[in-house]
Amino acid sequence: MQPLSPFELEVARLLVETLHLEDVKPEEIAPEEPLFGEGLGLDSIDALELALAVSKTYGFQLRSDDKENRRVFASLRALSQHIEQQRAR
Amino acid sequence: MSRSRNWARLPERGSPLALWLIRAIALYLGRPAARALLYPITLYFLITAAAARQGSRLYLRRVSGREPRWRELFHHIHCFAATVLDRVYFLTGRLDYFRIEIFGGQTILDQVASGRGCILLGSHLGSFDALRGVGSTLRPFPIKILMNVEHNRALTRLFEALNPELARAIIPIGRPETLLAVQESVARGCLIGALGDRVAQDDKTVCCRFFGQETRFPIGPILLAALMECPVILCFGLYRGGDRYDVHFEKLAERIALEPRRRQEQLGVWVQRYAERLEHYARLAPYNWFNFYDYWAEESS
Repeated sequence: MQPLSPFELEVARLLVETLHLEDVKPEEIAPEEPLFGEGLGLDSIDALELALAVSKTYGFQLRSDDKENRRVFASLRALSQHIEQQRAR
Repeated sequence: MSRSRNWARLPERGSPLALWLIRAIALYLGRPAARALLYPITLYFLITAAAARQGSRLYLRRVSGREPRWRELFHHIHCFAATVLDRVYFLTGRLDYFRIEIFGGQTILDQVASGRGCILLGSHLGSFDALRGVGSTLRPFPIKILMNVEHNRALTRLFEALNPELARAIIPIGRPETLLAVQESVARGCLIGALGDRVAQDDKTVCCRFFGQETRFPIGPILLAALMECPVILCFGLYRGGDRYDVHFEKLAERIALEPRRRQEQLGVWVQRYAERLEHYARLAPYNWFNFYDYWAEESS
């Protein structure tokens, strides 16, 4: 399995901590696996909570009208890339 | 956090054909004639819908503490049929048919005046559609309804056919970005309608005492209010027979505060309070209970 980049690991830690995923280790999240539905099995409330934590930690808002959203929430890798891009602005 | 293992216990509230038939009858005949037809329809369902009859029996037994009579089962199903018919009139704006009494209306007026939204938490007790009458009586307010569209396909189509504008107010649950939209709506002052008494597959739940026995309730609506830091207002639209509906509003919480370590416990306290108010209103109008399945099944088995 492909290892996580340091930033992906940071986002994975935020995810596990925010959503109280007691039986998931951040370093074991597969970066390309879906976060929602299958894969990690998150739901839309988890998505909101994650979005709130991201905005608190990295200082930008994920917005519902963002066309990118489906992609952003697709996987840990996609989410991490999106945060890095937004932060750089 | 516990996730429900309860697979698709939700029965769809009517086949597409039945809903189409109800709509046709309602709109062509008008309410008085359509209501006369409810008696044979109720009798038909009482005889043929064994699962619903059993659900009614289990619930009524729990409310009254004795075996319900056939007359009471009939009355229960008739009450449901009457509100399904009235839904057509509520959705098409035929409010002139009804006398709607509003209790706690100031709660809603204050909330709307504050400019900030809230969760409007209802149930399958009575008619959530009676809310349509509140908007025109008190003052119009912006509302969106969270709905599990997957479980309510026929119902969603009915909404679209009867009131496209209202259909646009439905927010389908399920996509990751869904609740981001809800949060933005609340910030703009929108009231978000949700029903808090049915557990769908994969819902996070908590065990609550309800009519003297434990059963599972979804924590979603309360958790959503906690995350959005908005109030929760309860809403019960009770059918009182004839052309009368009573709509009750009461504030459940100004704000749901959660501490990370005690989160599940604190959510449980609020959901339990919801369950208690639901029981209170169910006792006020027992035949308004429209969850026709064994509501307590999971914990007792």
